[in-house]
Amino acid sequence: MLLLLPQALVDGILIGGVFITIAIGFSLAFGVMHIIDLAVGEWIMLGAFLGFYLTQWTNIEPLLFLPVVFAVFGIIGYFLQPVIFRVISGIKGDPVLMGLVFTFGLALIFKGTGLTIFGFYSHSIPSIFSAGSISLEIGNFYLTIPIMRFVGLTYAIFITIMLQYLLKKSNFGLAVRALAQNREASGLMGINPKKTSSYVYAIYVGISAMTGVLIGSIFSLSAQMGARYTALSFFVVVLAGMGYLAGVPWAAFLLGLIQSFFLIYFNPGYTLIAVFSILYVVLLISPKGLFGRGW
Amino acid sequence: MAETILKVDAVTKTFGGLHAVENVSFNIDIGEIVGLIGPNGAGKTTLFNVISGYYAPSTGNVYFMGEDVSGQPPYKLAIKGIGRTFQVVKPFPGLSVLDNVVIASLSRHPRRRDAEAHAWEVMKFTGLADRAQILAGSLTLAGRKRLEITKAMALEPSLILLDEVVAGLNPTEADQTIELINKIREQGKTILIVEHIMHVIMNLSDRVVVLNFGSKIAEGKPEDVAHDPAVMKAYLGEEEQ
Amino acid sequence: MGTYIKGSNIKLFALIFVALLLLPLIFRNPFFLRIATEALMWIGLAISWDVIGGYTGRVNFGHGAFFGIGAYITAILMMNWGWAFLPTLPVAGFGAGLVAFIIGFPTLRLMGAYFAIAMWSLALAFQQLALLMNITGGPDGMRLPTFLNPEFFFYLMLVMVTGTFVLLWYLMECASFGFKVRSIREDESGAMALGLNPTRIKIQAFVLSAVPAGLIGGIYAYWVSYIDPPSVFGDIITDQAIVMTILGGMGTLIGPAIGAVILFAFKTVFWAYLSDYQVLYLIILGVVIALTVFFLPNGVWGTINSYLDHRKSKKNYSLISL
Repeated sequence: MLLLLPQALVDGILIGGVFITIAIGFSLAFGVMHIIDLAVGEWIMLGAFLGFYLTQWTNIEPLLFLPVVFAVFGIIGYFLQPVIFRVISGIKGDPVLMGLVFTFGLALIFKGTGLTIFGFYSHSIPSIFSAGSISLEIGNFYLTIPIMRFVGLTYAIFITIMLQYLLKKSNFGLAVRALAQNREASGLMGINPKKTSSYVYAIYVGISAMTGVLIGSIFSLSAQMGARYTALSFFVVVLAGMGYLAGVPWAAFLLGLIQSFFLIYFNPGYTLIAVFSILYVVLLISPKGLFGRGW
Repeated sequence: MAETILKVDAVTKTFGGLHAVENVSFNIDIGEIVGLIGPNGAGKTTLFNVISGYYAPSTGNVYFMGEDVSGQPPYKLAIKGIGRTFQVVKPFPGLSVLDNVVIASLSRHPRRRDAEAHAWEVMKFTGLADRAQILAGSLTLAGRKRLEITKAMALEPSLILLDEVVAGLNPTEADQTIELINKIREQGKTILIVEHIMHVIMNLSDRVVVLNFGSKIAEGKPEDVAHDPAVMKAYLGEEEQ
Repeated sequence: MGTYIKGSNIKLFALIFVALLLLPLIFRNPFFLRIATEALMWIGLAISWDVIGGYTGRVNFGHGAFFGIGAYITAILMMNWGWAFLPTLPVAGFGAGLVAFIIGFPTLRLMGAYFAIAMWSLALAFQQLALLMNITGGPDGMRLPTFLNPEFFFYLMLVMVTGTFVLLWYLMECASFGFKVRSIREDESGAMALGLNPTRIKIQAFVLSAVPAGLIGGIYAYWVSYIDPPSVFGDIITDQAIVMTILGGMGTLIGPAIGAVILFAFKTVFWAYLSDYQVLYLIILGVVIALTVFFLPNGVWGTINSYLDHRKSKKNYSLISL
C-alpha cells in the first residue's frame, strides 16, 4: 500500500497544477471585479471544443493553438464584460447576487448551446504528448508520470508566473490592483476603470478557455463538463480564500492530493463528497479560507 | 451618588500592527452626556465599535451596568440596552421609514401590532412621523440621520451612542438635532456622543473625553478640557516659537 | 412593506382555492389533472425557494437537494421498510429541514456567493451519494408502488402547496419574521445593532425554505412511482425554480407563483411541439434569466408592484417636506 504513496503524491501534484489554472482566472475575476462567474466551467468547455475542432480540422498539435484560443475568447470576454458590469451596477438587488444569477443564466445558455451543437458525446484532444509517459524507478518505488499531465503542470506554473509578473511589475497590473481596491479613486487617478475591467475579464476568459484545451488533452471534453469544473474552481478558490491569489496554488495542490488519494486508495466516486466535507469543515473553522486572507 | 452605567477599563484594540485604541479607560454615570472628541483618526469610531460589540477589545474590558460585556455581539448588547447610530448611516434602504423603526421596536415588542404602535410613538418623539411611508433610501441626509437616532431610540436603550449625528447638517437641522438630543437626555437616557463640531459637543456634554492617536489625553468638564494644553496641541499642533 | 391579512386578500385567495378544488370535477381529463398537479408542484418549489432567495437575499443553487432528499426518504421508507405513504411525508420534510439546519451553519455565516455555490455542490454531492449507495438503488433508481389516482395526487399537492403558501405568506408578509429576514437582507450589520442575530434568522429562513421542498419531493416520488438520482437531484429542478422566481419577482411570494405558472405553461406547450429539441430548453431558461436580470430585475410581479406603489406615493410627495 505504501508503495503507491509516491505515485499518489505525484498524481496529486500534477492534477493540482491543472486545478491552479482553473481557479486562478476565477480568483482574479473575483478579486478585481467582484464578479463570481458561474460560467467559468462553460468557458473551459467552450475553449476545449474550440481546441478540439481546430485540431481536428488542421491536424496541427493542439498546444500550438493555445494562443489562438486565448485570443478568441479574450476578445469575447472583452466585449462581454460591460454587459456583466451593467447587470452588477443595476439599481435593484444585491450586485454580487445579481451578477451570480446573470452568469448562471449565461452558463445555462452556453451549456444548452454546447449540448445542441456538440451533442452528448465525449471526446479527447490528441496531442503529441498524450500517449507518452515517463517511468521512473526510485528505490522500491515505481513512478509513472504521464507527460501530458506534466505539460499541464508546466502550463500552470507558467501562467501563474506570468500573471504574478503582470500584476506586480507592469503598469497595467498596478492599475488592476488599484481597481481592485477602490474603483472610484482609481478613476480619479487616471485609470480607466471600464477598460481595465474589460481587459481583466478578457484575460480571465482567455485563460479559462486555454485551460479547457489542456483539460481536453489530459482528460476529456464533453458539453456537460462545465459543472464539474465550476465546482472545482469554486472549491479551490474558497479554500484559498476568495480573491487571495497567493493561496490558490496551495489549495489546488491540496485538492489534487485529495483526488489522487481517493483514486488510488478509496472509491473515487466519493471524491466529491470528501471534498465537500473538507470544504464544510474548513468553512466552519476558518471562513476566510485556509489562510484567513479571503473575503 | 451617581451609578456607573458604562465602564471602559484599559481597552486596547489593535489591527495587525495598528493600535487604534490604546489603553483607554473612563466611566459614564447614568444620565450623563459624555462627549468623545479628538482629531481625525484618534480612534473614536473604533472605540464605539468596541463598546457596541462590533469589535472585541484586544485587551481590557467593557462593563455595562456592572456586567462584563467585552466581546459580546452587537445584538446581545442591543437587547441589554446599548443603542447606537452609525457615522455612515445604515438605513434599510428598500424598506419604508416606518418598517425601519418597527424592526427596532420588535426587539422590545415582539408582536408586530405592538411594534408598529411603538414605532409610531418613537417617530412622533423624534419628528419623523410625517415621513413614515417614504422609502428610507430616498430620505435626505438629515432624514437618514434622524432615522438612525429613531431606530436607536426604538430599542428603548439605557445608553445611546451617537456617532456624528450632527455632521453634514445645515444650521437649522443641526439645531433640531441638538434639541432632540436634549429631549433624549430628559427621558433619562445616558448619552455618549462623538462629534467634530466643537461648539455642539462642548455645549451638550457634561463631561468630555479626548482621544489622540488612540490614547486618552484628557478628561473633564468641557471648559477645563478646552484649555488643556495637551488638547490644544493635539488639535492645533505645536505652538510656534 | 408588509401587509396585514386584509379582508380583500383573503377573499381573493379563497376564491382561487375553491376554483382549484373544483378543477377535477370540471375537467375530468386525467392528463389535464397531471399537468395541473405538476404546475402546483412548481409553484411550491418556487415559493419555497423565494424564502431564502428573495426574502433573505441568499441565492440558493442547490434547492433541488431538498426535493431529492424528500423523494428518497419517502422511497426508502416505503420500499425498504414497508411504510404507508402518508406517514413518510413528515419524515421527508423533517429530513430536508435537518439537512438545511446542519449545512446552514457554516455556509450562511458568509457571503451570499459562498452559500450559492456551496449549495450547488451539496446537490451534486447528494446526487453522487445516491448513485453510490445500495439503499438508494444506485444509478437504477428506485421504484415505488404504483398508485394511479390523479385526483388524489392533485388534491394532495393542492393542499400541500396551498398550506405552504398560506404559512409562508403569514410568516413572511404578516408576522414579524418577514421583517427580520428582510432587514438582514438589506443591511446585516445594521440589523445586528437592532438586536437581530443574523445567523439564527438566516438558518430559520433556510429551514423554512427546505421543508416544503422536501415534502413536495416526497409526494413527487409516490406520484411518479420511479425516481433516480439525476431526476430528483439534478440541476434542472433548481434551475427552473430559480428562473420561475426571478421571472415572477423575488421576495414577493406571489411573484414566484406567477413565474411558475408562466414558465410551466410555456414548457408544456414547448414540449408538445419541440420535444426533439429538449436541449433548447436549457438555452431558453438561460436567456429568460439573463434578460430578466438585465431588463426586469424586479420580475413581472415586482415590476407591476413598484409601478402601483409609485402611483400611490406620488400623491404623498407633495404633502411631505423632505
